[in-house]
Amino acid sequence: MRVKAKPLECTGCALCELACGYHWDEAFSLISSSIMLYRAEEKKDYMGLIVKTDEDLFIGRPEGAEAVKLGDLQKGGKGGGASAKPILIREACDLCESSGLEPQCVAVCPHGALYLE
Amino acid sequence: MPSISSKEKPMDSMYYGDTLIVDLEAGRTGQVSFDEVDEAGPGLPAGLALYEKYKEFDPLIFGSGLFTGTPVPGACLGFVLGKSPLTGEPAVAPLNLFAGAEMKLSGFSMVVVKGASAKPVYLWLHDGVPDIEDASALAGKDTWDTTDGIRREMGEGLIQVICIGPAGEAGSDSAALSINYWGSGDTAALGAVMGRKNLKAVALRGLGMLDADEPEEFYDGALELLASAKVDTGFKSMCSALGAPDLDAWLSPIAHRRRACFACPATCATFVKYNEAPSVMESTDVEEPGMLIANAAAALWLMQGGWDVEAACRAMEAMAREGLDMVRGARELSETPLTDAGKITAAVKALEGSTAARWTVAEPAAPGLFGPWVPPLGGYESWLEANRIGYSLGICPTFLLLCGTDTSRLLELCVPAAGLETGQDEIAGMYG
Repeated sequence: MRVKAKPLECTGCALCELACGYHWDEAFSLISSSIMLYRAEEKKDYMGLIVKTDEDLFIGRPEGAEAVKLGDLQKGGKGGGASAKPILIREACDLCESSGLEPQCVAVCPHGALYLE
Repeated sequence: MPSISSKEKPMDSMYYGDTLIVDLEAGRTGQVSFDEVDEAGPGLPAGLALYEKYKEFDPLIFGSGLFTGTPVPGACLGFVLGKSPLTGEPAVAPLNLFAGAEMKLSGFSMVVVKGASAKPVYLWLHDGVPDIEDASALAGKDTWDTTDGIRREMGEGLIQVICIGPAGEAGSDSAALSINYWGSGDTAALGAVMGRKNLKAVALRGLGMLDADEPEEFYDGALELLASAKVDTGFKSMCSALGAPDLDAWLSPIAHRRRACFACPATCATFVKYNEAPSVMESTDVEEPGMLIANAAAALWLMQGGWDVEAACRAMEAMAREGLDMVRGARELSETPLTDAGKITAAVKALEGSTAARWTVAEPAAPGLFGPWVPPLGGYESWLEANRIGYSLGICPTFLLLCGTDTSRLLELCVPAAGLETGQDEIAGMYG
């Protein structure tokens, strides 16, 4: 089971990041979460979602989604773009098991852009 | 990192505890205690108290609300408060998109900018550190080049940039501040006040963390409100409630994606593409494919003026670049629909603006503190209450009016957030 994304359903509200950050820190920030919006190309409206797990990054780009092994990223493989480094130093998604809740990013997304598979 | 929540005072939680004072004339920054905030109330009431305190210095107050930056639905809102050149009275401009939340997470919930700088500067707020930076290289640049320039200089693409363009630098009564590239709901010419101060921009980036007094109760309450909120997409509900034609249908030939502000389930913004096909989802070599249409009032004026949608969006881009008030600008442009790109640019540059911006339909919003950025939905009393609650708590008033939020439940969250007991009457009282 893992969190996956339908990037074109995402509106960029960052509620998933806030909920995930709360799961880890019981506080609100945009630095702690295992999921993050890729929004560095604002002028192009090019936006996607990245989820870090122990083994890979799920990268949901507008044109398609893929999982990229962490080792491949560190060797310079494709995926992640400018946001790859920050998310690599974050906690890996544990599906919120450590807090006994359903995955909070999926629960808070108002548009069904995140799902479990 | 700034220290957070000492919990010695009622509203230390959700705030960082101090108010930043920026003296542009002296080129200095300093911090003062937060007592005014506790006495006046959260968010804009605190800003109004600070405005009164520093009135002789022509202050601009950059602030945020109690819930700004949290998962309470619609909690995107910050504000800029200053004396409007149009009325001579204090007036507010919204900081929506990601600007309000980024400001709070940068470590500053209230910033007083007083005096004027002798040379162009920008204020760089990051991780609890305030820096006054030289902006000579940005002088004369439009808002797009200013945003790009600051992001490039600081090496960070996620910096939120509250800036002015040539109109603000010239002190035009039509000037508005812009949030990044996209303009703003500034209908009070606060962009001209920034220009008068030689303050080209306020740049924000924060990796801060907000604590609640009772985090679990607050978080659960926020999610309860989120679950009960009507998930609105596009402009359909807004137009329907206003009795206006369907903006979504007008925009649809060039619509790319719907966008939301921070923490908001509604999507009151639509990105349109006209320099490449709107269906293109990849990141291509086209660096500037279009425009984020986040100002429904401006779009309504142009649509109802008979403008072609692509020409209208190009006109809105031109107004955003110049740093012009899009609502008043669109009202004037609506009388003469244009299609030629050169004529559109010339018409935008020639805008002199007007002091009487109104929505095109329904009751005109009252001039004064709040201005007509929030659509007049549900009558004047509802509109006023949504503005007062929204600007106090940091919740977008348009979201409150459109999405059926239980305001009593919303206000109850002030207790687990920060130990603050308040209600609608108390909030109204904070505005005098």
